[in-house]
Order: sequence, then C-alpha cells, then structure tokens
Amino acid sequence: MGMKGKNGTSAEAAGLLHPSTDKVVVIEGTHSASYAVKLARVQVVAAYPITPQTGVVEKLSDIVSAGDLDAKFIKVESEHSAMACCIGASMTGARAFTATSSQGLALMHELLHWAAGSRLPIVMVNVNRAMAPPWSIYVDHNDSLSQRDTGWLQFYAESNQEVMDTVLQAYKIAEMVSLPVMINLDAFVLSHTSEPVAIPKQQVVNEFLPPRSAPFKLDIHNPRAFGALIGPEAYMEMRYKLDAAMEDARAAIRDVDTEYGKLFGRSYGGLVEEYRTDEAEIVLVTSATAVSIARIAVDELRSLGFPVGLAKVRAFRPFPVDEIRMLGQRIGKIGVLDRNFSFGASGIIYQETKAALYNALVRPKLFGFVAGLGGRDITPETIKEIFSYMMNHDGPELEAVWVGLKTHKVNEAQNTFADSAEGQQK
Amino acid sequence: MGDYRYTTVEEMPPLAFSLESTRNIPTGSWRHVRPVYVEKSSPCQIACPAGENIPAYFELVRQKKYREAWYKILEDNPLPGVTGRVCYHPCEGKCNRSPYDEPVAVHVIERFIADKNFREGKFPSVTASPKSAKVAVVGSGPAGLSCAYQLARKGYRTVIYEGEHDPGGMLRYGIPSYRLPKNVLAKEINDIASLGVQIRTDSRIGGNVPWSELEKYDAVFVAVGASQSSGLGIDGEKLTGVYSGVDLLHQLNTGGSPKIGSGVVVIGGGNTAIDAARSAVRLGKEVTVLYRRTRDEMPAVPDEVNEALREGVRFEFLVSPVKIKGRQRKVTEVDLIRMKLGEPDESGRRRPLPIEGSNFEITADTVVAAVGETPDLSFLPYSFLKKGARIFVDADYLTGVPGIFAGGDSATNPNGTVVNAIKAGKEAAASIDEFLGWRTKSNGAEHQLVKPEDINTFYFPHETRIKVPRLSVGPGTRSFAEVNKSITEERAFQEAERCFSCGSCLHCDVCMTFCPDVAISKDDQGEYIIDYDHCKGCGICVNECPREAMDLVEEDTQWA
Amino acid sequence: MGQIKFDLPGEEILSPGHFACPGCGATLTMRYVLKALGRKTIVVIPACCWSVIDGPVPYSAAGVPVFHTAFESAASTASGIKAGLEIQGDHETTVVAFAGDGGTFDIGLQALSGAAERNEDFIYVCYDNEAYMNTGIQRSSATPFWAWTTTTPTESPKAEKKKNIVEILAAHRIPYLATASVAYPDDMIAKIQRAKEIKGTRFIHVFSPCPPGWKFEPEDSIKISRMAVESRIFPLFEVFNGRDYKLTREPAGTPVRDYLKSQGRFRHLKESDIQQIQSNVDEEWERLKGKLTFQVESRGKSHLHGVVDPERNPPMRRAIRK
Repeated sequence: MGMKGKNGTSAEAAGLLHPSTDKVVVIEGTHSASYAVKLARVQVVAAYPITPQTGVVEKLSDIVSAGDLDAKFIKVESEHSAMACCIGASMTGARAFTATSSQGLALMHELLHWAAGSRLPIVMVNVNRAMAPPWSIYVDHNDSLSQRDTGWLQFYAESNQEVMDTVLQAYKIAEMVSLPVMINLDAFVLSHTSEPVAIPKQQVVNEFLPPRSAPFKLDIHNPRAFGALIGPEAYMEMRYKLDAAMEDARAAIRDVDTEYGKLFGRSYGGLVEEYRTDEAEIVLVTSATAVSIARIAVDELRSLGFPVGLAKVRAFRPFPVDEIRMLGQRIGKIGVLDRNFSFGASGIIYQETKAALYNALVRPKLFGFVAGLGGRDITPETIKEIFSYMMNHDGPELEAVWVGLKTHKVNEAQNTFADSAEGQQK
Repeated sequence: MGDYRYTTVEEMPPLAFSLESTRNIPTGSWRHVRPVYVEKSSPCQIACPAGENIPAYFELVRQKKYREAWYKILEDNPLPGVTGRVCYHPCEGKCNRSPYDEPVAVHVIERFIADKNFREGKFPSVTASPKSAKVAVVGSGPAGLSCAYQLARKGYRTVIYEGEHDPGGMLRYGIPSYRLPKNVLAKEINDIASLGVQIRTDSRIGGNVPWSELEKYDAVFVAVGASQSSGLGIDGEKLTGVYSGVDLLHQLNTGGSPKIGSGVVVIGGGNTAIDAARSAVRLGKEVTVLYRRTRDEMPAVPDEVNEALREGVRFEFLVSPVKIKGRQRKVTEVDLIRMKLGEPDESGRRRPLPIEGSNFEITADTVVAAVGETPDLSFLPYSFLKKGARIFVDADYLTGVPGIFAGGDSATNPNGTVVNAIKAGKEAAASIDEFLGWRTKSNGAEHQLVKPEDINTFYFPHETRIKVPRLSVGPGTRSFAEVNKSITEERAFQEAERCFSCGSCLHCDVCMTFCPDVAISKDDQGEYIIDYDHCKGCGICVNECPREAMDLVEEDTQWA
Repeated sequence: MGQIKFDLPGEEILSPGHFACPGCGATLTMRYVLKALGRKTIVVIPACCWSVIDGPVPYSAAGVPVFHTAFESAASTASGIKAGLEIQGDHETTVVAFAGDGGTFDIGLQALSGAAERNEDFIYVCYDNEAYMNTGIQRSSATPFWAWTTTTPTESPKAEKKKNIVEILAAHRIPYLATASVAYPDDMIAKIQRAKEIKGTRFIHVFSPCPPGWKFEPEDSIKISRMAVESRIFPLFEVFNGRDYKLTREPAGTPVRDYLKSQGRFRHLKESDIQQIQSNVDEEWERLKGKLTFQVESRGKSHLHGVVDPERNPPMRRAIRK
C-alpha cells in the first residue's frame, strides 16, 4: 500500500534500504508497532486484548518472553487498568506503552485525561475501529477522535513503516513536551496487512531516543503528592500549561521528524504532508490509509490533466492550523474526507479545518465528505467521486456529503464524475 | 482552599504537585473545644482524711522509687507504718476500681513503703527556716504527733507534753501489738523527734506539770484523745470481772496481765470491742461479742471483724445487756434482751429497739464493756466551750481561747480513728501557722473528682487484689505477734499496677497514640505538648485517656 | 500486667494540618500505616476522603510520595507503579494502594480483583467507613444492614448485608489478608509490618469510623471501633494464602446493641432490627470460627479481659467544661 515511487524499487524509494536499517521484514501493522516498542526500550507494557489490536500484544508477549525486551508486561483485566498501569509506571519515570482499539479506548477515556493531566509521556497505539453498536471490527476513526479533548497528541499512520517510525518519534516528542501520544492505524487495512518494514538498528534508535529522564516523578527521596485537589485559583493555569505544551509539540513534531529523517532516511512532513499540491486548484485533505488511496486517484487525475492535490493530516492533535492556512492561501477549493462523523455536526477533520481557516485572511471554498465508516472500502473511485463533486460545485451545499451512501443522490454524483472522466479520455 | 503560592502561570510547575507539608495549614482554627491536661483528684485522695496523694506514691512504687514514695506520704502523714497497719482505709472504700473488680489495697502499699524504709530510710530533714515561735502540744497520740510534726516541718520549736510514760497515746495503749508492733510505732515517733520535736513524757498537764507551763508558748494544741470508757449504764457494772475495753487494752499494752476468766463477753461493735475480743483470744479465751445492731451497722473495720471471726470469736447480733449478774461480787451471767431495728436515728443507722419479753441470759466470768470512749478534760483550768463531752473547736481547730487549738478525739467532730486524728493535727498545724502570722492557708483549690465512669476500663485488665500474707490462726492467735506480714517488692509492684491513677497523667501515651491530627508530642522532659495550631479538638485524647487526666474545654471563640 | 499500652514503633511521618474531619478513622489508619512502613513507601490514593485529607495543592500531609488516581484505579495504578520501580531496579519501596470502601468494594473491585489475581506486589489498605463519605454519606456495598445513609433514608434503610470483601479477596488466594481496627493500633501495625515482609498482593481491611457519616461525636471514634471488634461485628483476624485463618484477638462478644445505639445512623432501629442484626453477626461469627485454622494468638490476659464495658464507658459522652 502506498510507497510506490517513480524510480527504483519501492523499498528503496520508501527509504527502507538506508544505512540505519537493520533489516527489512514483511510484517503486519500491529507487529510493526510491537517492534517499535522493543526498539524504544519500553519498560512497562500493560495491555488488554481487543480485535484488531491483538497482534500488538501477542508479538510483544513473544518479545518480552524471549528476553528481547527487558520490560514488565502487565496483562491487565481491562483497558482502564491498562492505562492506569501505564500512568503508575510512567509516574515512576519508566517508559510505558499500551495498545488498544475502539471500545477499549472508550473505556480508557477517563484515564486518558489522567495521563495528560499528569503530563506523562505514555505512548499508545490505537487500532482504529468503529464503535458499537452495531458491532463492527472494521476501521473508522470515531474511536480516537472521540478522545480529541483529552490532551493527547494524535498521529494517524498511512503505512506499517510509518507506524514503526511514528512510535519511535512519539516517545521522543512525548518526553520532550511531557504529554502522551496516541498513534492510530486503521483496522485490518494496516493492522492485519503485511508490508515491508525497515527495522532500524537498535544503536541508531538509542542515539535518537536516549533513556527517559523524567523531570518529575514519584521519588521517595523527594516525596510529593501529584494530582491533589486544586482550587479555582490555579486549575486554569494547569490547563493553560497543558495547552502550552501542546503548542510546543508543533515544533517538536517538526523537529523530531526532521531529525528522524536525517538519521533514518524517512520523514513524514511533520504535521501535514502535502502531495502534488503545486499548481493544484483542488486539494483533498484526509488522513491514515485513505491517503494512500487518494495518492493513486490524484496521480491518475493529474495524468488526465486535472489540477488536483492532496494533503495528509498526520498529526491531528495538535491540529495543524498553520499548515492548513498556508494551504488555504494557495488553493481555491479544499475538500476534507472524514472517516468519522460527529453526529449533529459533520466530519471532525472538516470541522477542524474549517475552524482553522475561519480567521485566515484568505479562505478557500471548503467541502466536507464522509466515507469509509465501519470499514467500508475507500477506493480510488471514491476519491475521484469526491474530486468530481468539487469540480462540479462552486461551493459546498452541505456540511457533509456522505460518499458511497446507498442513495439516489450519491449515485448521481458518481455518474457526474464518470461522465467527466470519460469526457477527459475522449 | 489554601493560598496558591504562585502568582503567575509562568512560575507554576508543569503539573499540580505538592511543594510543602500541610503543617503549614493551621487547622487548629477549626477547633471549638480544646483538650487540656488536668490533674484531677482521685476519690481515694479525697477520701483519705490525711489527704495522702495516693496515686502519686503508687506511681513511685511502680517506678521502684521507694524513698520518694515514702517522702510523698510524709508530706501528709508522719506515721505511714502505723496507718499502713491500722487505718480503716476509707480510701479503699471509695476506690474507683471497686465497681470494676476489687479496690486497690492502698493500706498494703502504704505499709510496704513504710516497711521498705524502716531500717535504712533517712527521714527528710526540715527545709523551712527556723521560726522563733514556740508551740506546745498536749498529748502524743496521732493528732499530737501529726501536729507537732507538721509544725516542726514549718520551722517551729515544738514541745509535746505526754502524761504517760511512753509517747503514742492510743497508738501505744489502745491498739494491740498483733496489729501494730511497738517497734514500728517507736520508729516513727523517733523519726518525728529527729526533727527537733521535744517529747516530754511523764509530763501530765494539770498533773505534775501545771497548766501555767503552757503560757510560755505562743500557741497550744490540745490533743489528749478520748481514753475514758463510757459506761454501760446498767446494774452490775462494778462487779469484779467487768472491764472497760480501753482499760483492758491499756493493761495488755503495758505488759500487765489482767485477770480474765475463760468465758469472755465483749459488749460493743466498735474497733475497741474487736481489739479486746481478739486480744482475749490471744489469752486463750472463748470470746463472744454482743452487738445491739447487725453486722452491717458495726462501726468496726470490716476487715477486723473478719479477722475476729477467723480467729474464732463468736458474735451475737441484735442483743443488748440488761444487767450483769454476779455472785460474791464476781460476774457470773449477763442478762440480755433481743433487739430489732427500727427507723434510722441521727447517725443514719437504724435504731435498735428491744423486743419485749425476749430476755435471756448467758454465762460469763468476764465482761468487757467497749461501747465508746470520751475524753478526760478534767485538767483544763478554766471553762472551755464544749460540745457534749468534747472541746468545741471551729473549722480552724481554734477553741474559744485565743492561741489554744484542739483536735483529735478530745475535740468536736471526731470519728475516733487514727487517720482522722492525723488529719486534725495536720490541719491544726496549718491553722496555728496562720495564727502565728506566717502563712495564709490555701483555701484548698477546687478539685475535680474522678468518678468510676470516667475511667476507661478498657486499658485495665481485671486483676485480683493482693492477698496479704498473714499468720495462720493457730500460731497467730497464741501470741501478740503481728498477724499481717510484709509483702515482697514484686507483689507490691503488682498491686501498685492495679491502681488506675485516677486523674493523674502517667505519660502512658494513649492520647498521643490516638491523635488523628498528630498534634500531641513530648518535650525533652517527657511532658506532652499539644500543638494547638493543628489540634482540631476531636476529643479522642480526652475520651481515651485511661484515667481522666484530660479535659475538653470550650474555646473562647470570637465569631467575627 | 498493669495498663494496656501501645508501644508504637516507627517515625511519625504523617503531618498535622491535613484536611480530615475531627476524629477521622481513615486518618489514624494512614498514620499507623506510615509508621509501620516508613519512608520507603509510595501511596496511591483513588477518589476517596483521602483525596481531600492529604491536602490541596501545593500541600501534602503524607510525607511520602502520593499519587492521586481515578476512583476505580487504585489497584491498577499501584500495579503500574510497582512495575515501574522494579524495572528501574528499586525492589525495596513498598507500594500502598490506600482506598475507601467505595473504591474497593464497588467501583474499584474489578481492578483490585485483576491485581489480586495477578498477585501484584503491593499492599492494598481499604479504610472502610461503610459509605461514600466524601460525597456526603451515600450507601456503598460496604454499608451495613439496615443503616441509614442519604440514599438509604430511615424510611427504607439499607436492606442488604454488607459485602464480605475479605472472602472475595481470600478467594483470590492472595498471600496475606488481614482485618484491622484503629482501636487496636498495635495489632494494625503488626499486621502491616507482617504484610511488608511478604511479596505479592496483601490486603488490609481497616474498620475506620466516620463521625459525621455515622453520626457520633468525634471523641468516640476509638470507643466505637473497639465495640465493633468486641461485639464481633468486625473481628480481627488474618488469612494466609486465602486459606489459613487466624484470629488475632478473641472478641468479648458484647451485644451489638451497645454498638448500634452509639451511632445516629442506627437510631431508627427497632428492637426486632437489633435482634436481626445480632443474629446476622452471630451467624457470621460462627462461620468465621469454622474457618479458623489457628488458635487465637496469645498476647497476655490483658487482651482477653480488657474489654470495653458500655455500662461504664457509655459513648456519646461529651463532658465539655465551660
């Protein structure tokens, strides 16, 4: 998926064959996360199994059991306790990790606030899975986006390699700004799909990511109480501090991504990666594996002469406001494809994009699209439909266009695009 | 909520953590009552006529500080060896331990302390500066000795005039030596004399020494006791074989051998009657005590009655003599009448009433009349105000004559006990001190009495009262050897441990242990300090104090 | 044997100035726990009275590191802390989860059960004040039968019996489990010290009186705790490996009536209710006796005889001198 370059092998193009690479393996996204945890020398893992995250904990169990990682692995009785364990461990200065998905993440919700409020650099992999009911084990992003306001940094990965690289970056960023980081990968599309992944050399990772040095911790030699009652005279300042750290995280994300690129040969554009936006008139903003699909569609449409481009929201928190505004200055029409929905409003990234642009001097036309919920495939055709819609509309008519919805209206849109593509070919 | 110590967000740490102890929060301001340590009075201390600080010397015994314990008693009573043996110990009757299990054996410990200091104990010397005033004491019984001793301690030159050949009064002549060995008495009298008290024996005022002799003194304390037996007031009292209890005991205590037959009848229910009865037992006689009320009304110390029973004395209750019959002027029988109890009289005891037609007689060759004693005041040169047979004194023991004080059994309101005489002597000494212009008596600070329900009995496991070793009936009743024996240190300690120490802090740390506010600590001297900046006044310390040595007092809260 | 004295070991670590109500049992519990464990201790506190008692930011009373955690997370957070310490080479520090009955019997039971099953290496101290006191006296599953709370008003007092948390924990076969009472601090400290020497999950269930919640005068906290023990409402015992039961104090078996009469939360009880409670207590006591594998530990006569006598030590006595 993705990673197709114009020259040489795909592996080369994707930067897999870099001096920092120990070996290239073909692994599932979940295992990519597990290997990253090993490389990050995580000290405490606490996790509870949930489909489709299980690969992460299974592989980690193997790694820890084999003695390849000197860590305590607490096999807790719930995700809530998983996060509580991570919080406890992290408070002692240890590097902590957990992984979950969907319902499990929702169960953790309270403690996500606790981790961020305690300013703990916990890293969590969340395999994005739709929320029940009805039961679904397939991808969408409502689980993680529901945790938007907990104070966690959020990354969305496009490939198994990016999962690996982002986990490593995440620890560095988290420990720089003292905030927890959630790395999201799409259920099955990444979690259960094998891709070639370059596993970096431990030594280089050690150089990149030194052992954690906690600025504050539970220390019997310096006994302090953490998280006690605080009055209205100081609570706000604590929240302000948390947001300030989130603001600091923007630079940290960019710097760490750059440093990572230098050391490992792969970087991801910081918070947002633009793809073929030069001379583009219409740009689609989206995230996670939808980006890979969109790359195919954009390439195809470009080859047909359509001025389209793509922007990948890699970091959702902090939200890349500056990046979006820069894009908005240059591009007349921007569409946002959300694999999630905020009921009673619209797609969540659409809302955030719109909010980012509102106070910009130049504001593009902004279209909101929703697709791929509960694991429905997002195909290049889906993306072309969306571009087609934007080409045929001067401005948005709806806050959210549900793409692929089985209604007459959406079929109509599909037809319009088909005509357009056909006309171009003629 | 406490003041946050930062003013700007920049100064604040990245997250909420503590920087200091709550010690800096004065939660004592929540308090509306405050605990305080208060020394309260134990009922034994209040009940003790001499006012001995019993909890204090018990604690000293627990600490094995026997010298200090002795000194503690000597503050109030110069005769602990005596009272430890013969006192009727009203302290024990009021002991807060009684309703819990058994009273603490105070007298046993008192005697133990005296015994412990019998040989090597150095009597405390006078620390007060000598005073020029001189005081005469008439009579060397317990009242006189006590008064002279207290005066000597205050620095007065004190002279005791004693008409008998030896000092001690009733202690010597009235109490048999199986209860109070003569050497114990002699030792304690010598101790008193060692303070410079002159005891002039064979010096009977109004006899070989004229009353005018006393005019040389700045003050006089009359304490001649009550040594005159009250008569039975019935026919036959003059027959041979009829003795008064006092006379009989006097003879025995001076080495005499009164002629006593084999069938002895003792009439009376007081201590003299019992002493006479038990002495008669020691002379190998069959003894019957006749008392007109029941055992419950007997004024004698119950322990003594028990001892008499143990030693084979028979008791006939609710009988009264009507006539003593004799032949050839010698007693042969006693006519008796049965009694019943009527309404309570002025003493609070039920009045005995004869049952008509219930007369009967018993055979006896010796009758000991022990129905009460009165003082012999014939030596007084001029008319003193009297009440009944006794010298009237006011609350300060002052007679109607300036400078002349009186106390003990010869003055009003006696109860005929050694310890009350000691009390009279002690208090009279204080009055004399005041009369001579030296010190105003303290008005006796208002004391808080500790009651049984104030004691937190959880802290006191049940323990049985000490059993005093004593001579068994056979050997014990064949001689006048002391019946009750000394106890060991170990036993004394065990008994001392039974004392609740009502109202006296023993630094047992219970208050400190249960303070949720960690507001009680100890200073270098081991004294408790309450941190009122943090004490919230919960009162657990006060409520848990095993011995009521703390109080909760209301804060003087000013509501703003 | 003279007076019973408590020779409490250890340093005084708890600071005054904390925010506990006067007469608070939970605070005495913390004081004794800290004395028993010393400064090499980390305490985890979920939502409970102690979230407040320890003091607001920037203060802390505990004197050792404290981590305030979410209501249901005492055991899980403690697990994480222990793991974090261990992996960093600290094998000495004792981790204590210090939670109320709500955070233990109710909302925290899952995490506790999980940790106990994993035999996580910490001491869990539950100070049981038998209701949600910090929120204002709402019933918990630790609230005793027929007690008043703000959610079980006197018209319909709590109709269910108190949950037997000890049996639940015993069923996990944890190495050490004990009940303790603030009225017997020497016993409590001995148990905590014993717990300290054992590895794995150790659970101490502490009877912790609450004057405002139970409606009694704060000065009676200890007396009431003592009555609970002596009346067998709250017997003091230990359980080793979930199987071997050992009584640490033979209770006097005083009637429950005196205990119940001492508190406003039981004021509405009728004679028949008291009888019912007595028979419930008797039944539980018999059941406990049947489980005993050891005889009562002999600590001298005193502990068998020095029992509270409600006749002579009536609670509710508040003699304040003006």
